[in-house]
Parts: sequence; structure tokens; C-alpha cells
Amino acid sequence: MAEQPEERHVTLEREAGVAWIRFNRPEKLNPIGVLARQQLDAALKEVERDESVRCVVLIGSGRGFSAGADVREMGSAEGGMRSSEDVGRVLREQYAPMLQRIRSMPKPVICGLNGVAAGIGASFAMACDIRIAADDAYFSEAFVGIGLAPDGGATWMLPRFVGRGKALEMFFTGKPLAAADAERLGLVNRVVPKAEVESSCRELATALAAGATKAMAAGKRAVNFAETASFEEALEFEAWMQEAQASSEDFLEGVRAFLEKRKPEFSGR
Amino acid sequence: MPYELILLEVEPPVGVITLNRPAVLNALSPAVIAEVTAALGELERDDSVRAVVLTGGPKVFAAGADIGDMAERGPVEQLARDQTGRWAGITAFTKPLIAAVNGYALGGGCEMALMCDLVIAGDSARFGQPEINLGIIAGAGGTQRWPRTAGKYVAMEVNLGGQPVAAQRAYQLGVVNKVVPAEMTIEAAKRVARQLATKPPVALRLAKEAVNLALELPLQQGLLAERKNFYFLFATEDQKEGMHAFLEKRRAQFQGR
Repeated sequence: MAEQPEERHVTLEREAGVAWIRFNRPEKLNPIGVLARQQLDAALKEVERDESVRCVVLIGSGRGFSAGADVREMGSAEGGMRSSEDVGRVLREQYAPMLQRIRSMPKPVICGLNGVAAGIGASFAMACDIRIAADDAYFSEAFVGIGLAPDGGATWMLPRFVGRGKALEMFFTGKPLAAADAERLGLVNRVVPKAEVESSCRELATALAAGATKAMAAGKRAVNFAETASFEEALEFEAWMQEAQASSEDFLEGVRAFLEKRKPEFSGR
Repeated sequence: MPYELILLEVEPPVGVITLNRPAVLNALSPAVIAEVTAALGELERDDSVRAVVLTGGPKVFAAGADIGDMAERGPVEQLARDQTGRWAGITAFTKPLIAAVNGYALGGGCEMALMCDLVIAGDSARFGQPEINLGIIAGAGGTQRWPRTAGKYVAMEVNLGGQPVAAQRAYQLGVVNKVVPAEMTIEAAKRVARQLATKPPVALRLAKEAVNLALELPLQQGLLAERKNFYFLFATEDQKEGMHAFLEKRRAQFQGR
């Protein structure tokens, strides 16, 4: 608990423009409890603010990504969820802001799906922009197994990835969706050997962090806008976004480099 | 006249008023309202200006009033200051007035946006009446303009709940005309202003007057007012120019006469 500040259920490290946020209870497949929520929230806020961070990786340590909510803790006093109202409060006041922060973060967020992503763990994976999965990783909408409905935005996100029928099947059965199937359905971007998840994330994150990250943020913002807009409104928002982008340093550099037939050096400004 | 709390720029045919107290999130003191009103008076008289943008700049529109100043005040003192009565100058302005809102438009800031004729919001914009959280209520039109714009139930939610409404939802509720990326809000509003500036000024003025009367009058009286404005416009040179240009398939040049 919070009295032991040295305990890290979520760690944050920076490495050459990339921030690594890591679920850090490998012995239990990274369940998410009070401390993990506090530390993940702080880490997300920090990397959002830090302009030297141009790409974020969210990954698990050990065999799994995250087995979901710490069910053992949910039933206890320190879990802070003694009543059903507490469950809603934690979702609204703790999970929702974090999930929204990931989806609105003005920089790419890559999920390193190094193993199981269950329940709220799957929701965090889906909230990221790009997913790289281990060959033995799987998604499980495990909520139904303990008599709960899906949460963490799963009802909104999963049908958009895999379609309504597949999503509802997963919500009803809680059965795992294997990485290969997830890739086929568009839920993960690619599957790599388990030992290579971290290096694949590093390779992609390093490349993105050296790219036109402001343009990526603009694209992400426009995609978010489009999700609640009409085609016409999306076209109009894009046009404004592009006007803003066309006055960025990276656009100037991009055009200059193109004309000079060299590789552009983007600053993310 | 020189201004201390706002910036006034005239780029004919558009005037831009920028609330300029970022350190206090553009809190609306009586002195700020006085300067806004004075600037609008100047722009009203300036024939080179045909539409006006009112903004708080890139980060925040205006987040309420100076609470520190208000905390220990009594009702008579508050009445004597006539804080909200001073805002009449904003609604009396006869040219198109376009709010460009980034970040918070709260309390008086929200009410100021609701007094404008069109609202362009950045995707970061938040509109709200948080006065209830301080033991008071909106005092410059918040309880009256919200229901007239977004209906009773939204108005209740905003005025009783005190939670701000995000840009996209405000757009869906019809409280803002357009949502753009926040870095483009002021430019988008200026472009709307320049577009309106190509229209015949007298007709603009009478159209604005008639639309505003719709919120005040029973339908038959409103229709009567509209019809009088309609007939009146046949006495303008711009009506002749507009119709002749239409028939001659050319662009009209309106003079404001």
C-alpha cells in the first residue's frame, strides 16, 4: 500500500525520447490494484507533460501484460471497493481519466502485449494506439467469469476492432482470443516471438520518436474528433488541422529535406 | 482610447478584441467589461469594420469573475456596482460579433460567449456556469440564455450541476457553431468574420436584430418586426446592388447604404 513508497507496481523509465511505462508485478501477471492505479496515473500525467518524451510504450513485465483488476484486493478494505458504488467511483474517477489520457495523449502510445491482457488490462491495451503482441499473448474479456459486465471502455473499443458479433461472443464467454486471431481481426498490429516483444516495441518507438511526432499527434486528434463527427465535419476538421500543421517546423523541414533529397530531421515541433 | 486589460486590433473589415489578463485566466472585472464595451463602441462607429471577433487568446476564453474581490460583499454593495448591468453594451452591438473560445469559458466568460452571435470553439473549449459551487448563481444571463439556446434540461444541468460542457458536446447542443483545432480557433473566427463582412451591412444589422427579437417576442410580433425590417431594406442602395448583381451574374459590391 501507499505506506511503502518504495514498492513500484508501475515503473517509468525514459530512454532516448521514449518513455517506458511498465506494469511491475510479474509474479502475479501484473494485476491492477490501488497502487498500480496511483502510479500509472502519475506516470501518464508525467509523460503527457514532458515534451522530451515523443513516444510512449505501455508494457508488462514477466510473462503477462496485465491480468486485469486485482480481484483479491477488490474484496478487501484497502482495495477501496467495499460497495458497488465504490466500483463505479473507481471506474469514473480513476480508470476513465487514465484511459482518456492515453487516447488523447498528443504522442503515439504503443502497447507491448507481452502476454495475457485480461479485463481492465485488455482495456488498457485497446486504449493504446498500436499493439505489438507476443505469439502466446491473448485477450480475455474475463469480466463475465466473476459476474461483472465489461468496463474500461471495452464495450466501445472492442466492437470497433473486431465487430459486434465477435465482441459480444468474447464478453459472453470470457474465452481468450489468441494473438494470431487478434492480428487477423485487426486488434493487434503484429505478432512477434515472445522474446522479441520488447525489442520490436523499442524499434518502432525509437523510429516514431525521431519522426514528425507533432503530425502524429495531429492525426490522432483528428481521428478522435472523427469518431463522433460526420464525414463532412471530419473533412472540415482535417482541413483546419492541416493548416495548423502546415505552419509547423517539421513541415518546413520535411519539404526542405525532400527538395534537398536528404532524410528529414524532425523536432516534433 | 488606450486599453490596459484588452487588446484591440482593427484589420479592416474585421475588428478583434482580445481579453488580455492571462495571469488571472481573463477574469472579468467591471473594468474589463468597461473596456470591452468601450472597444465595441469604437468598432460600432468605425465604418471600416463590418464584423468583430471577441476572444481570450490561445489558452483560455475567460474563467469567471474575481472571487477574492467578491467574497465579503453585501447585496446592496453588489447592486451598487451594477456588475452585470454593464454588460448591456455587448448585446447592444449591432455588427456580427463572433466569439473565438479556447479553453475555459466559465461563469461570466460563458455568459459573454452566449451573448455573441456566433461561437467558434477550439477542441479544448469548456463551457460552464460553476457559480452554484460558490453559493450563488449565474448573474449575467446564464440561467436565461442557456435554456433559450440548448433547452430547459441542458440549462438545468449546467446551472444546477456546475459541471462544464466540452466543445464537441456544446456543438451537438447547438451552443457552438463549429469546433476546430484549438490552435486555429482565432483564425477560423476571423475567417467567419471576413466572410460576413462581404454581406450588406444594413441587412446584416437588421437580420441580427430580428433573430435576437425572436428570443424576446411572441411569434406574431416577431414576424411583424421581421417584415418591417424586410420592407425597410428595399430602401437601401445595397438591395438594388444585390439584386442587380444577381441578375447580371456578377459579385455584388455592398456599400452599407
